Amino acid sequence: MGNVSKLLNKPLKAFTLYALIILICSIPVYFFVVDFIWQKELDEHNNIVKERIVENFKLNKTSNEELSKTLALWNILQPGTKLIKAGNSNLKPDHIYTITKTGNFNNEDQKDRFRILETYLKINNNTYFMSIETNVEEADETLLAIAIVTFLFFSLLVAGFILLNKKIAKKIWLPFQNTLEKLKAFDLNTDKSIEFSKTDIEEFEQLNQELSKLILKNISIFDQQKVFLENASHELQTPLAVIKAKIDSLLQSKNLSSDQLHIINQINVPLARASRINKNLLLLSKIENHQYEDKEDINFETILTESLTLLEDYIIDKELSVTRSFENQSQLFSNKVLVEVLVNNLLINAIKHTQSRGKIIIELKNGVLTVKNSGKVPLNKDRMFSRFLINSKEPSNSGLGLAIVMEISNRYQWKVTYNFDLEMHLFSVAF
Amino acid sequence: MKILIIEDEIELAKDISSYLSGENYLCEIAHTYLQAEEKINLYNYDCILLDLMLPQGADGLKLLETLDHQNNQQGVIIISAKNSLEDKIKGLKIGADDYLAKPFHLAELSARIYSVIRRKQFDHTNLLTQNELTVDLLAKTIKVNGNVLSFTKKEYALLLLFLGNKNKMISKNAIAEHLSGDIADMFENQDFVYAHIKNLKRKLTDAGCKPYLKTIYGTGYKWEM
Repeated sequence: MGNVSKLLNKPLKAFTLYALIILICSIPVYFFVVDFIWQKELDEHNNIVKERIVENFKLNKTSNEELSKTLALWNILQPGTKLIKAGNSNLKPDHIYTITKTGNFNNEDQKDRFRILETYLKINNNTYFMSIETNVEEADETLLAIAIVTFLFFSLLVAGFILLNKKIAKKIWLPFQNTLEKLKAFDLNTDKSIEFSKTDIEEFEQLNQELSKLILKNISIFDQQKVFLENASHELQTPLAVIKAKIDSLLQSKNLSSDQLHIINQINVPLARASRINKNLLLLSKIENHQYEDKEDINFETILTESLTLLEDYIIDKELSVTRSFENQSQLFSNKVLVEVLVNNLLINAIKHTQSRGKIIIELKNGVLTVKNSGKVPLNKDRMFSRFLINSKEPSNSGLGLAIVMEISNRYQWKVTYNFDLEMHLFSVAF
Repeated sequence: MKILIIEDEIELAKDISSYLSGENYLCEIAHTYLQAEEKINLYNYDCILLDLMLPQGADGLKLLETLDHQNNQQGVIIISAKNSLEDKIKGLKIGADDYLAKPFHLAELSARIYSVIRRKQFDHTNLLTQNELTVDLLAKTIKVNGNVLSFTKKEYALLLLFLGNKNKMISKNAIAEHLSGDIADMFENQDFVYAHIKNLKRKLTDAGCKPYLKTIYGTGYKWEM
């Protein structure tokens, strides 16, 4: 699950990215809006200044001489405005523009931006040229200020997102977590139903309801299947019994030819297989249906010894060498029948799949039973415990022995493993 | 000796009956609970074969309870397709003498009937005698012409199977099941049977017993008298 992230982190990333894009886009927009307002206001300001000057001239009638003296002084003292007698007498329209220039005073590097109004006035029938300049904040300074403020807000936004996300996640996803925990703990084999806790979030409530329905349906199908399997194998026992009895009866007939006897014997082989499969299926369904529930103290060594005695004939027949080593007395509190079946199946499996004169090693130490048997090629680890996996062409394989081992182990949470090492198949069950 | 077969599967009952009839048993068949109840009340049997699952959901265990109240010398063998441990324990507790899971070999059934009847009716002697051969069921010893033979457990079991199935052809498969029980089903190769038969034959003939045990090539074995 390398590339899996939490659900809420996905919108968080998207929101953060979206906020970033919008805020970045907003920077030039803010700038243009602020600049536009600046310029408009300054133009207005320049106009007001111009109108005041014109008004003042109208009110204070001054002679031309006096005026030129005053203007000379004005032009020196008022750096923002200039009033000069224009050469020609034509009144030109107003001219408004922006320039950037170095400051008039000591600081040479300091560049400033100015908004300038150039206009022509008529005073005492003379045309005068007037320019009014007002300092405007420089574009880059405005831009920088806006950017800084914007990023400050962006950081606040992201921090808020993360905090809120965490808080919301904890609260809102609590019912979901509960549901998830219950689902994780659910086992179709042992649980009869599942109870989800109530939640006030509609989606989760719906999810819980649908899950409950689904699980109930599954449980019922699973139960039906188990009952069906048990009934089916029960039903099969009787016809198998009839066939077996018929063959035994047929064998008693007089005057059977050797060909006929041969055929009768050949029927016995698949019949034995059918009855073996059926027995195993019945056993599997019984384990699934919890028919082996009683527990008692079991001595492992005793069970192994009994099992080996039972299988003695088959071991001798194949001339197998069996080595057993038990490190400590192992007691187990469990169902005796199931443990016997487990041990028998592991040993039967080993005996069946070992070549004549092969080796079988049985070890019991630290609560782990290991059955090793010599073999040539490793088996498919993933599939070997599934039902009806036929590894060899040998027809005696019912394909269920290891599935039964697995089923029993699952019941008690024992761990079954398979390995192939040094030309030995190695099956182990950790109790 | 009289045997009652309580079994709803008609064909199976017929085969059991015809197989056992050859063994000097007189067999009667009951297919339903009512028939069985009637016969049990009217007659005495040496052995009753009881199928637990009878038609109309009748429970054979109930029949067993009535039998037990009569407390007689009838032996009871449960034959069931259920093969459930609880039924087995319950059945044996209520008074059944043995439990045999379906499907079984007729030879196995016959051997079981043979030993149940002897256990029930010959409490004091427990001796099976056939010409020069004597088997003590209680002490589990075998004598030929009065001399005690040493036998393995499996050879002893084998001999009892043959004595319970005189003049019957017994397949290798049936012998394997008799010796190894359920586990025999798990193996295809039952060749180990040869070894036990060979040893049994040798021990008997060495002790001066007639060669009753015959090998019918490729088919099975027969105890001929």
